[in-house]
Amino acid sequence: MTGPLSSLTGASNYFEDFHVGQRIRHARGATVDEVEGGWMSKLVMNTAQAHWNEDYLRGSPLGDGRVVFGLLTASVVIGLASQDTAENALAEVSLDGLRFTSPVHHGDTLYAFTEVIETSPAERDDAGLVRFRHWGTTQDDRVVFEGERTVLVKRRTHWSDR
Amino acid sequence: MTAGPRQDFDPKSFPVARKGRYYDDFEVGQVLEHHWGRTLTAADNVAFSTATCHWSPMYLNAEFARAHGHPDAIVNPMLVLCTAVGLSVEDLSEAGGPFLGVDGCRFHRPVFPGDTLTARSTVIDKRESASRAGTGIVTWHTEAHNQRGELVVDYRRTNLVAKEPRS
Repeated sequence: MTGPLSSLTGASNYFEDFHVGQRIRHARGATVDEVEGGWMSKLVMNTAQAHWNEDYLRGSPLGDGRVVFGLLTASVVIGLASQDTAENALAEVSLDGLRFTSPVHHGDTLYAFTEVIETSPAERDDAGLVRFRHWGTTQDDRVVFEGERTVLVKRRTHWSDR
Repeated sequence: MTAGPRQDFDPKSFPVARKGRYYDDFEVGQVLEHHWGRTLTAADNVAFSTATCHWSPMYLNAEFARAHGHPDAIVNPMLVLCTAVGLSVEDLSEAGGPFLGVDGCRFHRPVFPGDTLTARSTVIDKRESASRAGTGIVTWHTEAHNQRGELVVDYRRTNLVAKEPRS
């Protein structure tokens, strides 16, 4: 690497920067379409054609057209939240209580929201555990995804000058 | 062989090669070894991480990952999870019924480009849906392993499952 590691990531999202109750409305939204929905479903071997056959769900109670694979909705929401929550992470640790509360279709735009639920020491002393609650909404403020995620985040004391 | 179009072709007369299992096909304790397996490549990791706005240097800058002691860029754990679920869909949920949730998901060790995942699931619960006639709710515990047999991710997944083929 040329230059210090810490120059490649932000300086305001180390473990010490997170506190319980902290809320983040992530700045960028993402429209889910062919690439994020249909293609990624097929890329991850999801054989359920509701995700990539436009004709299949015509007239369905879920709404016309392709339904986005729920874990891709979760992946986009976590992706939109990733810079603010895990740019200085060492590892994704766990996910829990992932719920898909309303269908997402191609053309919908996702937004991400985060609240810090818990911060705790980790087994290694150069990082700590942060538990986040994430929400994903669409352009019309429908909540489509909710869930918790725990990340191992670098401590500034050990990493900011590396 | 007769050349040219056959005049008797009637698409509705062809039986569907149905995929997937229905509610009555599951019993608690049953183990399903899922099909195919999947080698996750650097291309998969870049496609997935960029498509999902997950521009972490740990997944997209190999030198950054190496500076943290890894042999290569880490494969985005969400791609690992999505692939484990994808490999299980035909056996578990393709026959129909919305995805309800994932609980207790743990990422046990990193996956690197070139690693091959296989997945298997155990049926841990099934019950009739009180609110939706013709469906049940099934929960599975799924584990995905790498080519060395090491557990990389496991989780519980719950879906509504249809009792019979959609008409």
